[in-house]
Amino acid sequence: MTVKPFQLLCPRELSDALATLEKHSGNIRVLAGGTDLLPSMRQRLFEPEYVLDIRQLREIQGIRLTEQGIEIGAFTTLHAIENSDELKRSYPLLVEAAKTVASPVIRNMATIGGNVCLDTRCLWYNQSLSWRKSCGFCIKKDGNICHVAPGGTKCWAAFSADTPPALLCLQAEIEIRNASSSRRVTLEKFYTGEGDNYRRLQPDELVTHIFLPRGSALYGGAYRKLRIRGSIDYPLAAVAVALKRKNGDFEDLRIAITAVNPAPLLVAGVQSLVNRAMTRERMAEEIAELAARTAKPLTTSALTPEYRREIIRVFTKRAVLEAAAD
Amino acid sequence: MSDFSVVGKPIPMIDAAAKTTGAGKYTDDLSLPGLLIGKILHSPHPHARIRHIDISRALELDGVVAVVTGADAPNPYGILPVGHDEHALALDKVRYVGDNLACVAAEDSRAAERALELIDVDYDILPAYFDPEESMKAERDLIHENKPHNLEKDYHHVFGNPAQGFAQADCTVEGRFIANEVTHAAMEPHSTLATFDLDPVTGNIGRLTVWSSTQVPYYLQHKLSLVLDLPMSQIRVIKPLVGGGFGGKSEVIPLEIIAAIAARKARRPVKITYTREEVCWAHRGRPRTIIDLKTGATSDGRLTAVEARVIQDGGAYCSYGVVTILYSGALLGALYDIANLQYDGYRVLTNKPACGAMRGHGTVNVRFAFESQLDEIAAKLNLDPAEIRRQNLLRPPAITVNGLRVQSYGLPECIEKVVERSGWAERKGRLGKGRGLGLACSHYVSGAANSIIRSDMPHSTVNIKIDRDGGVVVYTGASEIGQGSDTMTSQIAAEVLGCLLSRVKVVAADTDLTPIDIGSYSSRVTFMAGNATLRAAQEVKRQIASAAAQKMGCAPEELIFRDDLVFRRDAQRGVPRLEGEPSGENPSRQRSRGRTHEQANTSQASVAGRVEGQILRGSLQQKRKEDLTPKDFMTFEEAVVAAIDFHGALTGTGSYAPPAAARGGKYKGAGVGPSPAYSYSAQVAEVSVDEETGQVTVHKVWAAHDCGRALNPVAVEGQVIGSVWMGMGQALTEEMIWKDGLLMNPGLLEYRSPSAAESPQVEAIIVESVDPEGPFGAKECSEGALAATIPAISNAIYDAVGIRLHEAPFSPERVLAALRAKKAAKPLNLTEGVDPTRPTRFREHGGALCFKQKGPERHELDASRAR
Amino acid sequence: MTKQLVALRVNRRLHELAIESSWLLLDTLREQLQLTGSKRGCDDSSCGACTVLVDGIPMLACTLLAASCEGREITTIEGVTEHGALAAIQKAYGDWGGAQCGFCTPGFIMTVKHLLATTPKPSEEKIREALSSNLCRCTGYSQMYEAIKAAVEAEQKGLAGDEKNAPSRT
Ligand SMILES: Cc1cc2nc3c(=O)[nH]c(=O)nc-3n(C[C@H](O)[C@H](O)[C@H](O)COP(=O)(O)OP(=O)(O)OC[C@H]3O[C@@H](n4cnc5c(N)ncnc54)[C@H](O)[C@@H]3O)c2cc1C
Ligand code: FES
Ligand code: FES
Repeated sequence: MTVKPFQLLCPRELSDALATLEKHSGNIRVLAGGTDLLPSMRQRLFEPEYVLDIRQLREIQGIRLTEQGIEIGAFTTLHAIENSDELKRSYPLLVEAAKTVASPVIRNMATIGGNVCLDTRCLWYNQSLSWRKSCGFCIKKDGNICHVAPGGTKCWAAFSADTPPALLCLQAEIEIRNASSSRRVTLEKFYTGEGDNYRRLQPDELVTHIFLPRGSALYGGAYRKLRIRGSIDYPLAAVAVALKRKNGDFEDLRIAITAVNPAPLLVAGVQSLVNRAMTRERMAEEIAELAARTAKPLTTSALTPEYRREIIRVFTKRAVLEAAAD
Repeated sequence: MSDFSVVGKPIPMIDAAAKTTGAGKYTDDLSLPGLLIGKILHSPHPHARIRHIDISRALELDGVVAVVTGADAPNPYGILPVGHDEHALALDKVRYVGDNLACVAAEDSRAAERALELIDVDYDILPAYFDPEESMKAERDLIHENKPHNLEKDYHHVFGNPAQGFAQADCTVEGRFIANEVTHAAMEPHSTLATFDLDPVTGNIGRLTVWSSTQVPYYLQHKLSLVLDLPMSQIRVIKPLVGGGFGGKSEVIPLEIIAAIAARKARRPVKITYTREEVCWAHRGRPRTIIDLKTGATSDGRLTAVEARVIQDGGAYCSYGVVTILYSGALLGALYDIANLQYDGYRVLTNKPACGAMRGHGTVNVRFAFESQLDEIAAKLNLDPAEIRRQNLLRPPAITVNGLRVQSYGLPECIEKVVERSGWAERKGRLGKGRGLGLACSHYVSGAANSIIRSDMPHSTVNIKIDRDGGVVVYTGASEIGQGSDTMTSQIAAEVLGCLLSRVKVVAADTDLTPIDIGSYSSRVTFMAGNATLRAAQEVKRQIASAAAQKMGCAPEELIFRDDLVFRRDAQRGVPRLEGEPSGENPSRQRSRGRTHEQANTSQASVAGRVEGQILRGSLQQKRKEDLTPKDFMTFEEAVVAAIDFHGALTGTGSYAPPAAARGGKYKGAGVGPSPAYSYSAQVAEVSVDEETGQVTVHKVWAAHDCGRALNPVAVEGQVIGSVWMGMGQALTEEMIWKDGLLMNPGLLEYRSPSAAESPQVEAIIVESVDPEGPFGAKECSEGALAATIPAISNAIYDAVGIRLHEAPFSPERVLAALRAKKAAKPLNLTEGVDPTRPTRFREHGGALCFKQKGPERHELDASRAR
Repeated sequence: MTKQLVALRVNRRLHELAIESSWLLLDTLREQLQLTGSKRGCDDSSCGACTVLVDGIPMLACTLLAASCEGREITTIEGVTEHGALAAIQKAYGDWGGAQCGFCTPGFIMTVKHLLATTPKPSEEKIREALSSNLCRCTGYSQMYEAIKAAVEAEQKGLAGDEKNAPSRT
């Protein structure tokens, strides 16, 4: 289907962009790489009157080394992230996760800001207008039922981006700005856990930067993603593991999961299972169990929830063992 | 190998540059002055009676030129004469979500889309049927009133004495197999452009011209004539480049007729191009199928009897369904020597998009079941899977128990080849944990011996015309859809005429210009259109020979046509060879198999090569004119000139109709299955299985395929690899996911045809059995290999981890569920109670369409509410 | 909706076009500029049949707004052939069976053009990764590997004479 007509605004200055957002607040969508927004607009999931193209905002592009760590502009492509020597060296987990997004060509277009802000996904939602009409719509868009949890009132669309679990493990923060102010929040606080209102972002706000703290540099890690094809596919369940070691012990272990809940989630309570008197294998299993219990997949995608939860378990165990391997 | 100069060579497709430069035109690339865009309104209900359609608001919208509904073309049609149950736009009922209701022709897409929103339709909602076994119980609200129990067609065949056969068996295995639904997913979405000429005298609507992405231009012409009440002579169908078909374009698809109706009403050209979702609704793919199969064998592995009960979920219309259900039975019995066979086939209607023909039409799902069960028997009897297959080979020439004539039969060699190349004997069962090899076989028709329209008309006819400069034009109705039919045609013509390939131009698939050919389906083109080309070329060759013989003072039989020369058999020595033109073959493709890439003397039928050739020929001709001594050779061009001087126009016609002996038995349904020749395939797949995740990786497939003769080895390998690869898709990743008649994955993101990342190396091994009736011995190569891949992978999974999957695709959750069931480990309800090693029913997607009063409007008896 | 004038540089030519903001680059190329070589194979940005180069980088024309492309250099399949001669990769795709129906081919050629421009001697792994952006339903990709290897060899032997004379890639 064609995209509903809109007016395109392509400011060159961040301040203009923010002013524009304020002016048309509520009736405007931010266009970064467009790899999520444009297919969705063709399905009439969004029909804004204005679209703000942030491609020309130099201030929010590129990867910069700072005192506190690394600052990544929201409009930095995943391709650039994959190929950044600095990131490869200090935050290999992010690079590994970024490399699994979609396909190489899409990663030439896709941005990290767009990845962090990615809309939640569901087979009952990511469909054409006429398809959605035939299912009576759903609460995320135009309807009053959630087809995956029909008794409830909550939307369970799954947050399905690959870099956020890595970013969560790395304790990333994001900078959010509007015309008059700027705030910095941990990524964890950015997501609401609801499928429809999935992020805490006001209509006049823009995500401008992502910060990776120095403290998280040189964490080892592993990212495991369930997809059916080796390319193109969104994750159906995935887990990121970041690990800092000290004398062979686990000093700090962080685990985050994605594509199984309406938000990417840090698995709580991991550290309490670490370094107790048990074999590494056993410990990995217990942690995996915890991660699986954190996952609440529903029938938002082609594979069954039971299977996706099981995979969180298997992949968590594997990723922990892999990160722990010398 | 015999001494051919064009045939058997790895020649690039003659239209390759059109494709690699983007210059070639597919239907959606075409435009006409005044072109309108057509958009179709589809039903949101799976089953409903239409009370009223109001188009008045849509018509008022700016930019809208015409709105058409079922009333604009009330004649029913269908691809099979027994299945005229479709209307391009629904008349009284809609029968699946996506059924066609109305079409708006407007100045641009946006206006057309907006107008669709303004069409008001009033429905009486009816209960709908989604599961075929449930549908067969229906007493009321039938999908088609004339089909009791929603049964499109059932057949019950008994050959030999199955009861006695089972009594003789030492081992009998029985089981239910389920294959889920797959679709063609050709990369080009269907597109049609239709326009009417105005009659120059009356100014009324005159002749119709249609450009369409079709595999069957002549059937399209015929159905258009039926629906539009126009004589066929008033309709011209042209097939531009087609971006893949695989059966999805092998019948008349609603948009083709809708575009014509809309163009008639708008009195302007109308183009409709489907969205990917509409392609999925148009569908005509492989039906999901239940196969209850029982096989008996003696302890040495000889099959004594086979009994199959097959239920196909055909969707809402007949389409090719009657043929599909017959193929499933007919081909079950014809790969091996089976003396006793019982087949019960049910083609059932449900409120889903119609299924039709898809690559390996009818044979694929049943072959999956059969080859899997054969391995189960082999395991029970402690026989090697290759051995049990060898035990049951046919002994050609043979007539199978169900009346199919088999002449050339390369299956034994195919088995030997894959066993040898894969290291089967040494490696099977010894690849370590989680890795295994599996073997399976398949076969397919080289075109149906009986066309779907019963008549004595030849199935293919080809005309050839040769011009004074030696340019050969072949007119063929055969439809190039990427399989290489135009290249095959020109190779055969060039081989027979002994001329350069670059002389041959193919004019194809234009009903005004080309003689009738029934289309590109059932792998019939090389065999049938190829034979017709061969005959047409022989006819012109005879004319050239008689004229040349006169000039050369010899008998026509003494002449040899080769290398663009005509010479006397006894004068072979001393005939100059034209430099730089080895008969059109591209030496750079001579990878006798070492991939040496001698680009330096590239002299294929490229533009440059042709120019060089012309100059060469010109100067040669000059020289020969001065030379008045009696000739022992003439150039092809000189011979052609002589023939035209002698006969006038130089034209020839050839046609092909399958011989009576190949047309099969006399029982009801015997018409489907017989073919003049069958291809054979044997494959070994090497897979590994991740036992914790159930993920299957295919590392390699060795695929030996008996194509009779490989007229063009690159093309044959390409077809075999493509078939194997598509089979792998059905085995592992592809599946149409349904929920109460809604297709949950109507796009290429969620309908997962494999990407390069997980596509394995396929080693294609060509086996040439040289069929006595095929053109130069050729048979089919584009479909047959597909069916073996699914069971080969399944059998390899068994070898790797010891689970026997009875449901395809072998998605990771199914594999894991089976592994868990086997280990009796913590039972996880991974597949909603459907055990993939013992499936009982089709699984619907989870969640709920309707809940209490929420969700779409559905009848209270509808399955979506009942659940 | 009102149109705006946009100057698009396509295949080294500047085109002034009156277009709507919401038009996709793919439709603009195909319908306004009659450059129909780039194909539409899907509606969910998954197939790659529409791949074009934007400032030398492969991107999906169906997932770009035409108006966002102002000031950027767009190369379509029509811009790959120069002076009527096939680029080595085009010829190799033809010779080695890399194209069957050909519908995916323009997209693949653009992807592979970029691969060879950035990695003159790509490993099997690299080729596989690059090809994984585009879907093909006919070939199973196998013969494309052969084609790419052949193109690499041809370029290396410097035998693709026409290719060499063409203005620099991308
Ligand atoms: C075929 C296909 C496969 C895909 N597979 C994957 C996958 O495997 N993994 C994955 O993670 N993603 C996948 N994606 C989604 C997408 O490509 C990526 O998530 C990408 O990173 C999104 O970035 P973008 O710049 O293209 O976002 P856009 O589409 O431009 O934007 C996405 C959303 O974020 C908002 N937004 C963007 N930037 C900002 C900002 N700076 N401030 C505020 N809001 C903003 C937009 O308004 C929009 O709502 C896939 C997409 C496609 C088409
Ligand atoms: S058309 Fe399929 S990705 Fe662009
Ligand atoms: S050649 Fe047909 S889709 Fe690739």
